Amino acid sequence: MAEQILDQVRDVFEGQIDFEGQKLAELLANLALSVVGVVAFLVGYFLQDIKLAVWIGLGGTALTFVAVVPPWPFFNKNPVKWLPVGGGISTQPVNLVIGEKAT
Amino acid sequence: MYSSLVRIQNTFGFFTTVAFVVAAFVALSDFVAPRTPVIHSLKTTNLQVVRGRPHYYSSKKEEYAIIKFSLDADLSSLFTWNTKQLFVYITAEWPSTTPSGATIASNATANQAVIWDSIITAPSSDHLANIGPATLKKLKKSAAGKPIDPSRGKLSLKNQRPKYQITHPSGKMASTEDVTLRLHYNVQPWVGLLTWNQNVDYGRWLKLQGGLSKKFNLPALKKKDEGKAKS
Repeated sequence: MAEQILDQVRDVFEGQIDFEGQKLAELLANLALSVVGVVAFLVGYFLQDIKLAVWIGLGGTALTFVAVVPPWPFFNKNPVKWLPVGGGISTQPVNLVIGEKAT
Repeated sequence: MYSSLVRIQNTFGFFTTVAFVVAAFVALSDFVAPRTPVIHSLKTTNLQVVRGRPHYYSSKKEEYAIIKFSLDADLSSLFTWNTKQLFVYITAEWPSTTPSGATIASNATANQAVIWDSIITAPSSDHLANIGPATLKKLKKSAAGKPIDPSRGKLSLKNQRPKYQITHPSGKMASTEDVTLRLHYNVQPWVGLLTWNQNVDYGRWLKLQGGLSKKFNLPALKKKDEGKAKS
């Protein structure tokens, strides 16, 4: 029973997402942080206010973390199609001889 | 990006990169902002040379000079969004003399000593100023919430007492000739290089106008029988 709870906890912390989700997460993080950087600089420069620029930068980064780190459902839209147990190929015996010289 | 931890690490790594690049742009933006520092007047108002201990813990008695001055300056153009503090200081400079007493005029700044300095914070760093809570409140109110306060950097000091008494390694200061006061400034940014007053125009940054006072001589020591009358 403890193992089941531990498994659940581990799942939460691992936050596994499928491969398309990982690509999306990377793209989203890079894009969001770049946009936040540009916006923070431009707002700060035109309002001549550096404190505001820092707040926008830190706030935007925090939002990016929230959007990218937890395993949101939209990161799991393309789950990996695992083959069924047993391999999925026909299990008919194949003429397989090992060790004999080929004739 | 296969686990939450990896996403945290990668995202934070890119965040530091973005922060560094933005900081670089902030520092570069200073070069686009023009600087037009002007000193309207800098002159001495009272000169005194005293023989005694210059500081409380000085072990020997020396001659030290107290140079009071008046200053009227406008350094407000040095403040941009990236300015954290402006450090302003005034030095007294005079040439060295030969043993026989003749001044070596070729090196007019052989001797330099700071007589006064001041840290002027920008509104963004008022909370870091070395002042008590009441003065801090007044300072913050004077900025009125604006990130740039045009009154910062406008200095109007009348008969200002110097912060520091100055001495010479020889122990003698009386009757020193060809002394001048010079104003310097150091712009301390939030991000970027430290910059001082310059002698040449660099693009939009103009050199300091009029930061040098007229030459003056320090007086002789007061004779004991004259009493301690103020000059």
